[in-house]
Amino acid sequence: MNLTPEEQELGRRNFLKAVATTPALAALGAAAAARGPVRGGPVRVGYIGLGGQGRVLLGETEPAFAQVRALCDVNPSRLKKADDVMAKVGAPPAKHYDDWKAMLQKEDLEAVVIALPLWMHAEVAAGCMEAGKHVLCEKMMAWDPEGCRRMLETAKKTGRLLEIGYQRNYNPIYQAAYDGIIKQGVLGDVFHARLLWHRNGPWRRKEDPPSPDFDPSRWGYPTFDHLINWRLYWKYSQGLLAELASHQVNVANWFFGATPAAVLGSGGVYRWTNEAREVPDHVYVVFEYPQGRTAVFTSIESNAYDHYYEAYFGTKGSLILRGETEAYLFSEGDEKKATSLEVSAKGAGPVTEASESRVADAAGRAASGSRNQGVDRLLAYRSEVSEFCAAVRVGKPLRCGPEKAMGSALACIAANQAMEKKSRITIA
Amino acid sequence: MTESRLQQVALVVLRTLVGWHFLYEGYYKAIAPAWSREGVPLGRWSSAGYLKGAAAGPFAGLFHRLADSPWLDKIDLLVMIGLLLVGLSLVLGLFTQAGCVGAMLLLGMFYLSAIPTSGAAQAGAEGAYLIVNKNMIEAAAVLALFAFRTGRIAGLDLLLTRRVAVRTEAVAS
Repeated sequence: MNLTPEEQELGRRNFLKAVATTPALAALGAAAAARGPVRGGPVRVGYIGLGGQGRVLLGETEPAFAQVRALCDVNPSRLKKADDVMAKVGAPPAKHYDDWKAMLQKEDLEAVVIALPLWMHAEVAAGCMEAGKHVLCEKMMAWDPEGCRRMLETAKKTGRLLEIGYQRNYNPIYQAAYDGIIKQGVLGDVFHARLLWHRNGPWRRKEDPPSPDFDPSRWGYPTFDHLINWRLYWKYSQGLLAELASHQVNVANWFFGATPAAVLGSGGVYRWTNEAREVPDHVYVVFEYPQGRTAVFTSIESNAYDHYYEAYFGTKGSLILRGETEAYLFSEGDEKKATSLEVSAKGAGPVTEASESRVADAAGRAASGSRNQGVDRLLAYRSEVSEFCAAVRVGKPLRCGPEKAMGSALACIAANQAMEKKSRITIA
Repeated sequence: MTESRLQQVALVVLRTLVGWHFLYEGYYKAIAPAWSREGVPLGRWSSAGYLKGAAAGPFAGLFHRLADSPWLDKIDLLVMIGLLLVGLSLVLGLFTQAGCVGAMLLLGMFYLSAIPTSGAAQAGAEGAYLIVNKNMIEAAAVLALFAFRTGRIAGLDLLLTRRVAVRTEAVAS
């Protein structure tokens, strides 16, 4: 979606105008019931899995909300990096573990944050809930439908909270877009959503083992590469669908108020054929929702020109949510917008070359420039962790929860099957 | 009793409200650290914030030093218990006169630690005050409660005085 600076400005203004009209009555309603505070300090939390994503969450954990008592990872160098993150936040150091069960036994924890490779989610999340811990688990929910169901049932059985880390649910732009635009019907009837996440690279992490004698086979990874690049292997991963699409499908489910009934897929390892990888580097998926609504997801690892966004195309307008930081709204019949869509659909160069932010993206800078709406995408992670703690302490409702997360997971798992068979699969 | 019904009701209402104010302030400090129902952590309470931040006027230095003193924990505890006891006393009308004295002592200290001498709006206050602030007004209200001996109008003090009266009668007969 390539818009000129003028079009971006117009789209931004339209968006802000539309969401400004929704009254923020929630706060008033809450104040009407005079109830005093609830006793309790910060939630006592342990972190399981401190790779990139675990450390992002750790860095966005506010000490007033959560006291991080223990860190668990099989890779000691990850624990060391996590220590640095905590020192930066100003949190006192936490104890180290390489076994989550030992951590649960020795530490007095109320909740855990799980950011493990996908294949471990169900076992660890269910085990933690059975040990009486509330769980904030990274997305995708689980590797297979059985794992998802196991997690959901364990949450119900144990009465523990289970939140899945779809941070868009906690992003004020998405909340405003839903409350101010989708729910109000500003877009008219939306038949089509475009979900897109394009990058240019092998998706491979490069890292040295923590020590020459480090043996990851103890944890089910034949080589260190399998541990570090678990995303590339089917045993541990569901590929781009799980890591990228499930975020956007989660939002599509939220905005459409439904889950896909069927999915068509195509894709494969087309570019990185010489790499040790199993999951496709190009995926093209069509999600069929009830009432003739269709979301098309594409993710490619050969071109980052479009980067990532979600666009909702309705009979009265279009909503574009880009890079988790920017939102544009255009009404149908707006001539400026019609031009821009036509241009970008054809992939013409001149317009986009004139766009400053496009250049900024290509240079690898975060999509948030000085011209955006001032939303730092990390703030969504911060809200996610904080609101999870508030849910533990005072029962604040979770914004996603296991049922919704499962809707997205089942669709993405089915999409991988459809892609493998290059066919259409009905989602149970 | 010489007061009219309305005067009696007004006095007891005033006492109950002042009592509630003390009681809740004490309760709030007692349950901290706590969370608001909206999910915001409220942290642990300490008088240090008030002593350091709000303290103003001629005695500010003394109170600033208290905030840094090793007795801070005990000061916190005493203030919290004082507020709770005074609050209970005034709400229940039990040992009302002692409760009034306690209330005036506490309010007097709160006032002395932050006498509004500047007349400008202070940080954290909802208005601008010169010499007279809400602590002083509340203390004056308690002085009125003390003067009218509201414990003999309504409250558990009545039970005490009745028992004493019964005993006195028994002794007299």
